[in-house]
Amino acid sequence: MKIRKGSFRLSNGVYFKSGYTIVGKKEEDGNFSGNFDLVLKNDLWGEKSYEKAECKMHREAISGAIAKSNLTRDDVDIMLAGDLLNELSASSLAARNFPTSFLGLYNACSTFGECVLVGSMLIDGGFADIVTCSTSSHFSSAERQYRYPLELGNQRTPTAQWTVTGAGACVLSKKKPNFEDNLVKSDQVIEDMNEKDRKFILDTAVARVKYEKNHVAKVVEGTIGRVVDLGIDDESNMGAAMAPAAADTIIRHLGDFDRKIDYYDAIFTGDLGRYGKELLEYILSKEGIDLSDTYMDTGASYFKPEQQTFQGGSGAGCISTVFNGYILSKLENGALNRILVVPTGALLNKDTPLQKETIPGIAHAFVVETEKIKEKYSKKQ
Amino acid sequence: MDYFLSYLKVFAVGGAVCVVGQVLINKTSMSSARILVTFLLLGVLLEITGAFKYMEEFAGAGVTVPIMGFGSNLAKGALEGAKEEGILGAIKGGLSAVSAGLSSVILFGFFFALIFKSKSKKV
Amino acid sequence: MIEREIYQEHVKKTAPKSPMMRSLIAAFVVGGIICSIGEGVKDIVKLIAPDMAKQDVGSWVSMSMIFLGAFLTAIGVYDKIGHFAGAGSIVPITGFANSVVSPAMEYNREGVFFGVCAKMFVIAGPIIVFGVVSSVLVGIIGLFL
Repeated sequence: MKIRKGSFRLSNGVYFKSGYTIVGKKEEDGNFSGNFDLVLKNDLWGEKSYEKAECKMHREAISGAIAKSNLTRDDVDIMLAGDLLNELSASSLAARNFPTSFLGLYNACSTFGECVLVGSMLIDGGFADIVTCSTSSHFSSAERQYRYPLELGNQRTPTAQWTVTGAGACVLSKKKPNFEDNLVKSDQVIEDMNEKDRKFILDTAVARVKYEKNHVAKVVEGTIGRVVDLGIDDESNMGAAMAPAAADTIIRHLGDFDRKIDYYDAIFTGDLGRYGKELLEYILSKEGIDLSDTYMDTGASYFKPEQQTFQGGSGAGCISTVFNGYILSKLENGALNRILVVPTGALLNKDTPLQKETIPGIAHAFVVETEKIKEKYSKKQ
Repeated sequence: MDYFLSYLKVFAVGGAVCVVGQVLINKTSMSSARILVTFLLLGVLLEITGAFKYMEEFAGAGVTVPIMGFGSNLAKGALEGAKEEGILGAIKGGLSAVSAGLSSVILFGFFFALIFKSKSKKV
Repeated sequence: MIEREIYQEHVKKTAPKSPMMRSLIAAFVVGGIICSIGEGVKDIVKLIAPDMAKQDVGSWVSMSMIFLGAFLTAIGVYDKIGHFAGAGSIVPITGFANSVVSPAMEYNREGVFFGVCAKMFVIAGPIIVFGVVSSVLVGIIGLFL
């Protein structure tokens, strides 16, 4: 149902049946350690190129999410996926392994938000019952596409961010999930893998932190972002390019639904980074919105300071791995009940800054609420 | 002692040249290719003004190992070529003066790229 | 929403800057060391072949330094030096070698023809073009001197 331009409320809500994440070693060493399903020892994962490795991560993330929701790949109606590589090559090449209708989406690092918005609308409108949403990014493939060869001895600027090596996927469903969904042990997914692939997986991280599942999460509302450009032209300062877009979406969202910011238990933005986060707080404080300590930027929080990533994580895999790993578990064990997720993206390619274009940003927002799970399921544990 | 002094000069001047480059990087966030081009053109300029000769006498490798040395060789070769062979020398001179370096960089680049693969970064 | 100009001004003012002192010291030390290695190579060449012309000694020094830069790039060390030293390892001729070898290695997965050979000068291309063009211009000026 349309609320106002770009903002909508779903009539029934769309449930998160499961989430599955694959990350590299550096990501596991960061602040969200223990929240990922699968950690790679080597970010090539036995492949010949980083692009192939990203494609494989993407494919395995989708397979993992489907397995965790006790479904088979034939049950999925539509796949929504995106990544940062040229013409969505990682997700497109991953999709050829599935007998499923496929829509490739691109909104840079906010693609996961776009996937969830489109997916929930498709389900709520009755066009599909089961939809997968997935995004991925890989440090080494992004580095060579957007920046410089890996072995070039240059210095990254202090405003730079570190592209997350990771893929996250979730399964959206019309039907309320069972208690068992999303609790299938990740080891089981790994056991299905062939010997060669298993060799590259870190032993210590076979399963994510076990948690008591007493809630299910569902998307209830969303605000589709606008492209906002305040004239930032430094491609190594993407936080500054994206912060106005995030601010615009949050202001519009709150206005459209006539809410105060404290309506939400927590607000998560995508990958603004430490400096971009400051900028967002600065812009919003001018509008009288105080984000306070319920606000987390997943990019800024991704890595520890001693990991020398300057502003933190970025990339399409940033919000999708944190959401499907960390945030979803917090929702399902009842620690969070109503959150606003605002993935952000900077819409540039390698040539636009050379053509003296400024960098536009975009941010999508979706609201996730939880529903208490039925008593008989809860007791089963 | 003489050795020590000459190496100290090389170290100090070479370091100082790099510091100028670092100031440019910090202040203007120039990419590495732009830095290299800037210093190359600086070398050309120093050569035609005649200053490079004195700098080289003073600091040796301190000014020839930075890419300025490459620029100075280019300019020197072109000027000598022009003097000896006229217009053809002006065109040939620069590249032939640096041809050893240029050929070797292409050679090494080609063979190392066949053998080695780029590795992912940790920091 | 915030005004465009005010926002740009704010970003300009508050964006994090490079740590000046630390990076300058790193550039000085590493740059100085690389140049000293060059001087050392020069002395060794002179020792082996005392009669060699000055220009040829220079060629041997550049080739050795280029080999050093290329080799350290190939084994994955030069990018770490560069991360620490910045201009200290960019400005010396080893940095030029690095900027040729690193894209060649990066694109070897696309094959020898369109990968290694075609992409070799993605970064160093401007250096060679500027160098050749300026040398020819200098040569032409030299005709009239």
